[in-house]
Amino acid sequence: MDLDKGRRRDAVAEAIDAVLNGELNRREFIRRATVLGVSGGVISAVLAACSGQVPGTAAPTAGSAAPAGSASAAPSASAAGGAYDPMKYAGTKVGILMTGDENDHRALNDKLADLKAETGIELEITSPALGPLIENTLQNLQAERSSFEIINYLGFLTTQQVGAGYFEPLQKYVDDPAETPPDWDFGDFAESNLKNVGLYDIANKKLGEGKLYGIPGLHSGSVVYFYREDLFEAAGLEPAKTWDEFQAAAEALHTDDVAGCSFIGANDFSLATVDWYTRFITIGGQLMSGSPETKDYKPNLTSPEAVKALQMIIDLLPFAPENVTTYGFAENVDAFSAGKIAQMIFWSTIAGPVFNTETSTVADKTGVGNVPADPGETPRAILGGWGVGIPANADPAKKPAAWRVLTWITSKEFNTYEADKYQIDPSRNSVFNDPALIDKFPYLPVAGEANANAQTIETSILNDFFAMNDMMNVEFNKALIGEQDAETACANVQEQWEEVLRRADVLA
Amino acid sequence: MIAQADRTTLAEQQRRGRFRKWSLPSRDVLLLLGPAVLYLIAFSVFPLLYSLRISFTDQGAAQDAAQWIGLENYARLLSDPFFWNAATNTAAMVGAAVTIQVVLGTALAVFFNLNLRGSWLVRGILILPMLLTPIVVGVMWRALFNPDWGIINWALEEVGLDAPNWLGSTEWAIRTLILVDVWQWTPFVFLIVFARLQALSVEVFEAAQVDGAGAIAMIRRITLPLLWPAIAFAAIFRAIDAFRSFDLVYGLSYGGPARSTTTLSFLAFQNGFQFQNYGYAAATAYVMVIILMVATTVLLRYVRLRGADAA
Repeated sequence: MDLDKGRRRDAVAEAIDAVLNGELNRREFIRRATVLGVSGGVISAVLAACSGQVPGTAAPTAGSAAPAGSASAAPSASAAGGAYDPMKYAGTKVGILMTGDENDHRALNDKLADLKAETGIELEITSPALGPLIENTLQNLQAERSSFEIINYLGFLTTQQVGAGYFEPLQKYVDDPAETPPDWDFGDFAESNLKNVGLYDIANKKLGEGKLYGIPGLHSGSVVYFYREDLFEAAGLEPAKTWDEFQAAAEALHTDDVAGCSFIGANDFSLATVDWYTRFITIGGQLMSGSPETKDYKPNLTSPEAVKALQMIIDLLPFAPENVTTYGFAENVDAFSAGKIAQMIFWSTIAGPVFNTETSTVADKTGVGNVPADPGETPRAILGGWGVGIPANADPAKKPAAWRVLTWITSKEFNTYEADKYQIDPSRNSVFNDPALIDKFPYLPVAGEANANAQTIETSILNDFFAMNDMMNVEFNKALIGEQDAETACANVQEQWEEVLRRADVLA
Repeated sequence: MIAQADRTTLAEQQRRGRFRKWSLPSRDVLLLLGPAVLYLIAFSVFPLLYSLRISFTDQGAAQDAAQWIGLENYARLLSDPFFWNAATNTAAMVGAAVTIQVVLGTALAVFFNLNLRGSWLVRGILILPMLLTPIVVGVMWRALFNPDWGIINWALEEVGLDAPNWLGSTEWAIRTLILVDVWQWTPFVFLIVFARLQALSVEVFEAAQVDGAGAIAMIRRITLPLLWPAIAFAAIFRAIDAFRSFDLVYGLSYGGPARSTTTLSFLAFQNGFQFQNYGYAAATAYVMVIILMVATTVLLRYVRLRGADAA
């Protein structure tokens, strides 16, 4: 017995030394200390003492955002002094409602036991597909009491769900060193994601401003340029930097076996948001004029840039796969991974299947770069990604435990695990720039840059975003299958959108 | 004569029943019927009334309290080109699919009634498609029709035929949808008609043969009139089902391309669950309910008359 005690004491001392010397990360220390029966208070004291030195703790990144009202981006080391107890809410059961369409739920499932070991909290995951998720989310947010203590929401729905006042302000937790792990590092989140899913000024209906209601996660994402390095090299071509170069490369590389390029040609969410919108904003287009408040929020879909962006896609048809007008997300990923496409712009999240050596024939032949842009324009695209927050109507007794889980699932460690195991786009700058990850996945810095420069699509501030997107996809798809020209398609969308905007009372 | 007398008695009973003094059901009746009535109220009547109420509001995603807007959703529907497009697609699908299914299903039933050797095995295989859920059928056929690696295009190319753009052109997508619906539900019509055929009295056919009726005449003058109630029942059942068709569209074409396969059910789904315009979606669903009620009432009346005449 005494011997056991002695061994345990030595092991504890060893673990404390290791964490203080930076040889052990916070998570591993907590795991060992918990197994060795160290109390939460002692664990907290040790972690507080080494706060700022623990491996994996990134300093706030230059340019990263601090939410309104916060004194500093991350809780300071001194503020964190000693009060944080990882096991404070042990025994609590928390439920999360999250997407089952991406791999986030798989990553979280993998790590449920770790979460329980480190916090004592049992997390129950509900992960339906996007449609039922939205439905389920709204039912819970509008109920007297939400069945879930944590809800994961799509960035495009921030206005609809956060803007309606359904989520709990989170700044009080961020600022409280007793509730937030000392190495959680709030300043590490990409500013673009924080503005897209975290901040909202409810009174003035402004996305990206005001209070903090959500934390970026579990993943972010934008659009990057995927190209076949081997084909470009063989043809003596450089990856396209402009849209003219993209077109020229498509023509030069097109063969019977490999299409010179591809795009979303089907009536699919990404036809408008990825292929058209990226081209539109990088040739100088501006989607909306005016503002909803002054009731002159009008689309610019009959502008020369709008028509030209669609025409650019139509012009690529002869150099795209024969059936590209039926190609949605899966078809493009499959065809690219099978080596049948020379180049395309796409959600960076497809890096997972494209760089998977077991399923992709081009894993070692694919290069990733910024999306092309006209000279003088910044290469950028639509900002995707998710936010995670605590419903205002969640059980008040469970909210602190929910925050504990929320910080765990948005921690650098978990973010790194997701990127490493599933190539999910992280929401933390430090993970995009993690040297160990970059060694394995060289595309990461490009994806990080795309994420940082990405633009929140202007229509996402409207509740009719998905309906408007569908109208655009249908008309553009019709143009691609030759039933109308680009000008007519754009004029039709303009007309349909104006009707929606008038109904929504944002256009007089 | 007997049939006429029976009908008079029935009418008399109905007339008397109408004027009978209404009294409270007994305790036993209440006890026996109560649970079923409560169940119906909770799970049928209440949802119907609730969605009817929603159809008169602008209930959307971000509102706790929806505004009462009266008939605005219904008025908007009538001027919505997407609604009329969906109504046209639905009518085309119901009309074409059910007609083909009835003709094919009846022909198959008559053919299998010949009891050729091994027909029991083919019959079993024939009804397999209707055992699959429509969503699976949709996804399965989407894969089969895949222009890049689908087996159908491959087979057509192997025999030197140009494969159409099954799901990629507005012209072909609706035909493809009808084709798959026919593939799945012809066995249903076959099964109903075949069952009726098996139950027909042999003596009638023997008498016709004795009177010198040929095969065609027997089918036209005896078989089809006797089968009519079963054919009509199958057709009405299929029409109602095809009118509500959603899962097949969802799995096969997702309403596209360019809304060419968007049916009324799919339109209601999109408005409700993709765009969160619950009020508008409820109005769409109610218009469908009204169309179905009127159509089935008229059709059932017609079938009953024809059935009585045939008897």
